[in-house]
Amino acid sequence: MKARAPRGREAMLWLAAPFLAAAALLVGLPALLALGFAFTEYDALSAPRFVGMAHFVRMWNDPLFWTALGNSLLFAGLAVPLRLAVALGLALLLHRGGRLARAAVFLPTVVPDIAYALLWLWLLNPLYGPLALALKAAGVTSGGWLLTPWGARGALVALTVFQLGEVFVVLLAARRELPEELYELCELEGGSALTVFRKVTLPLMAPTLVLLAARDVVVSLQTTFVPALVITQGGPRYATTFLPLYIYENGFEYLRIGYASAMTWVMFLVTAAMVAAQLWVLREWRASTTRQA
Amino acid sequence: MPPPVRLLRSSSRALLIGVLVAVFLAPLVVMFTGSLRPPGLPPPRGVELIPQGAGLSAYAATFTLVPFGRALLNSVLIAAFMVPLSVVTASWAGLALAQSSGWRWRTLAGTVLLLEMVPGTAVWLARFAVFKVLGLTGTPVPLVAPALMGGSPLFVLLYAVAFRRLPPELFEAARLEGAGPVRLWRSIALPLVRPTTASVALLAFALSWRNFIDPLLYLSGEDALTAPLALHALELLGSTQWPVLLAGAVVVTLPAVLAFLGAQRMFLGEERGSGWLGR
Repeated sequence: MKARAPRGREAMLWLAAPFLAAAALLVGLPALLALGFAFTEYDALSAPRFVGMAHFVRMWNDPLFWTALGNSLLFAGLAVPLRLAVALGLALLLHRGGRLARAAVFLPTVVPDIAYALLWLWLLNPLYGPLALALKAAGVTSGGWLLTPWGARGALVALTVFQLGEVFVVLLAARRELPEELYELCELEGGSALTVFRKVTLPLMAPTLVLLAARDVVVSLQTTFVPALVITQGGPRYATTFLPLYIYENGFEYLRIGYASAMTWVMFLVTAAMVAAQLWVLREWRASTTRQA
Repeated sequence: MPPPVRLLRSSSRALLIGVLVAVFLAPLVVMFTGSLRPPGLPPPRGVELIPQGAGLSAYAATFTLVPFGRALLNSVLIAAFMVPLSVVTASWAGLALAQSSGWRWRTLAGTVLLLEMVPGTAVWLARFAVFKVLGLTGTPVPLVAPALMGGSPLFVLLYAVAFRRLPPELFEAARLEGAGPVRLWRSIALPLVRPTTASVALLAFALSWRNFIDPLLYLSGEDALTAPLALHALELLGSTQWPVLLAGAVVVTLPAVLAFLGAQRMFLGEERGSGWLGR
């Protein structure tokens, strides 16, 4: 055995063994298990009982499931473009000069979710939250953000925009990869800042932006959970009941593990479809630009 | 460009940056000042930047209401396992990804991308069932286990990109001298990507420190509280004493902020190629 100890590039794969094993145990196996649960009635107390497609039929007729799915899609549709646009603007503004400013932009991202949610619960408090008091001092009296469906949704979107550090740092790195000579050339030709952005920066950074958008869609399914649990409790009138929250309630509170597993798989398939669509757009876009060139 | 125009431009840029910094720091600053208000007073009627009679009594109340000291210790212990383990497995998998080709590369890259696309919320339930069968619920094992897959697929990707940037001749030369994978990793690859390691360590710490849902699902009992759970417990006590809750939030936030300030030089630097993608 010792004499045949693997050498060379092929042997490097062994370094990935713990990663692959853990991924199989922590993600692969649970995913398959969830697929199995999806066709059974299971409450963690008695043995699972096969029920066929019953959960999927029930999901089809469950208005709350559709509300939760719609809310999740709506949240991704609002938060992802907003986060990307703000992070791109910040990265272009701050890629040179002012490390302190970059640190300040990143700082809210490291605040733990539960502390962050409590902080916003206080900031948005309609009676004595700082935002309400500041607005009152300015003569505007309105503090019921969390009491209307769109106010609550907007608040949750707004608070995720502050936690854009990861996207911001990746865009900073991507901007620094662009050749400076290109920008010097543009300056010589006297192009306006907007033209330079449209003709140089945006096309060159588009692949990174699309990949980040795909990732952010997935991330948005996790970031909503704690704020929805702590700040709005899914309300008002289910306006912030997102799929993960609804799955959590069904699986861990009502012990409807089969039903929750079925919803989990639907959530995963919807995410995969959205990511695939974005990657397809990227490929088409790349193909079209190489054809032009 | 004539000097006055340039001056105007640079000063308006400075102003814009100043406003942005203020906007991003404001929530954290008011969290801190709000925590300095003595608990038990009626809520403020107007905007107050520094509360009247500012002091640390809310912090004392926080620590007496909930066993915060024990919770902080638990969180530190979990992070002490999480961070080194994540760095090792993520850099191993990253090196394997950077060095492989053909079907090996496709398998590894495909796994990493697939993991990146599975929302964490999608595996909670069935993963819980797996750990229940293994008899590991109620122990910290389920909390630390994700470190075995590098903590997050993002960390593996960061390492893979950083290792790809190293000149391949380095590895070939060491291989000719008979160095195995682990020696390549330890004596060549890892020492050359220190900024990436710093970034991954920081992110792994933040991930471990902020973890709220796993302790909520797997741990119970007062001795098993982690810092985020202790804050949740404080909230569930139904305290409408905002200074006390805010003090708890500051206590939970502070270690993450300090870790970030220690490591930010490594990934917010100015040089080309610096950043998470390391060099």
